[in-house]
Amino acid sequence: MKWFYRLVSLFMAVLFAGPLVWMLFVSVKEEGMKIITVVDWFTPPYSLTVYQEILSGTKLTNWIGNSLLVAVFVTVLTVAAAALAGFALSKIPFRYRTLMFFVVLAGLLIPGEATIIPLYQVAKDMNLLNSYQGLIIPALASPVAVIVLKSFFDGIPNDLLESVQIDGGGSWRIFMRIMLPLCRPALASMAILTFIGSWNNFLWPFLSITDDNLFTLPMGIPTLISQYSEDYVKPMVVNAIASIPIIVLFVIFERQIVKGISMSGIKG
Amino acid sequence: MKMKNWRADAQALLFLLPFLIVYGLFTIWPMFKGVEMTFYKWTLIRKMEFLGWDNYSKVLQDREVWEALGHSLIFVVLTTPTMLVLSISLALIANRKSVLQKFYRSIFFIPSVLSVAVASYLGLFVFQPYTGLVNSVLHLIHLLPGDTEIFWLTETRLAWIVITLITLWWTVGFNFILHLSAIQEIPDEIYEAARLDGAGDRQMFWRITLPYLAPITKTITMLQIIASFKVFMQIYIVTGGGPLDSTRPIIQLIYQTGFKSNDLGYAATMSYLLFVILLVLSALQYWMNNRKGADM
Repeated sequence: MKWFYRLVSLFMAVLFAGPLVWMLFVSVKEEGMKIITVVDWFTPPYSLTVYQEILSGTKLTNWIGNSLLVAVFVTVLTVAAAALAGFALSKIPFRYRTLMFFVVLAGLLIPGEATIIPLYQVAKDMNLLNSYQGLIIPALASPVAVIVLKSFFDGIPNDLLESVQIDGGGSWRIFMRIMLPLCRPALASMAILTFIGSWNNFLWPFLSITDDNLFTLPMGIPTLISQYSEDYVKPMVVNAIASIPIIVLFVIFERQIVKGISMSGIKG
Repeated sequence: MKMKNWRADAQALLFLLPFLIVYGLFTIWPMFKGVEMTFYKWTLIRKMEFLGWDNYSKVLQDREVWEALGHSLIFVVLTTPTMLVLSISLALIANRKSVLQKFYRSIFFIPSVLSVAVASYLGLFVFQPYTGLVNSVLHLIHLLPGDTEIFWLTETRLAWIVITLITLWWTVGFNFILHLSAIQEIPDEIYEAARLDGAGDRQMFWRITLPYLAPITKTITMLQIIASFKVFMQIYIVTGGGPLDSTRPIIQLIYQTGFKSNDLGYAATMSYLLFVILLVLSALQYWMNNRKGADM
């Protein structure tokens, strides 16, 4: 039985890696190569000229830059806003706290996709279409992040906070000196999930941006690829260039990503 | 923390303010704005004329809307069970002790970090006739005679299969991680005790592993149903909704109605239909989560 399990496992791995490996091999082919069988993809000659052509002749790097810029801002600001709100909900005994918690919780039920048309109108009224602000600001309210972080803050004993209070520290100091450092793993995981979410976000940029200098990657790729007919090499180079930064990020942060997902699954 | 009432209130407000501003402006406000829009002939320029309940009665009788909802439902039905089986299988594979354990864990997850556009285009090219990877491999192993081709995207049924496969490949990673971490939390002693009682691998899977995975599987099922209802981009790139609109999901119809036919009011009305469906599903999911006693 053991060899059977191993075989199935390897087969699945090939299925998952296959398209990516294929993408890389095709992307280093010369343009206009005649491909008769699958073997042709995986045999030389290879060259990197198309990479150079795409990198210098299109706005692809520009769009990668936009995606990175938007994702970084969205991540930092989302996590900051969610941490502040989560802290208030968890540790400050204000009136209407339960009510406020339910207001945030209700946000989990509101599907962004279903309010995208009015969101477009609202963003238009606020002059946010076709701008970096328009890509970033509407993405910042994340009830999931607030609730996940709140439940982490809940796990920090109040005794710890009182010791700071006795020393004369206010809420801000407690937040900065105790809560943030103690919840660093949770914050990091939340940040990475937010980053991937923003990186993959499609519908909102698709609707709100028409200026191709402001395109993010998910919008730029279709625009670019639809211009290339017949040949595979250019599209695959585009795909490869778009994938490499995020795969590198994944390799670096694999552990936090895995932790973040298990966390949000349990809490969400 | 002990504080005077008004001080606590003021501080809480300050801490909550950044979130509440964005949440109010871009989540809550659009929800109400959308209700207003449904009562008008509302174009990209501005609202045109008051229609009353016209959009609502129209949406309920619009065949295109129900067909598109039907397609979204087909997608839900195709992806949900296959996703669960695949996710659990991959988790079992990556949980077995082997030199390749880390490799499996990475390779099953990596597609999930790709941009949806990359995943979709990759899929599109992989399933291309004549030069795509799939047909070429089928030729290579002689499953497909050399002079025939499968046209994956010109027939509705095959197109659905392609869309489903791409989606599974691209998104199973998240669920796989959830299943894997749930499997790892099952205490070893339970398996040891079962082994002493003479249980085989298969019995242990059905009697121990699967029941232990039930709670997270329920959560994943609901999240998957909700996510699948919101499908748009993969289908938009791979089939464009075709052949002949036979795979067009509701979000694509909303987008086309709003931005191609310049009828935002009607598109908003459609989106509230979707809203109601998703709201019911989310409420159901929340209720299920809480019933099993999750502390949130």
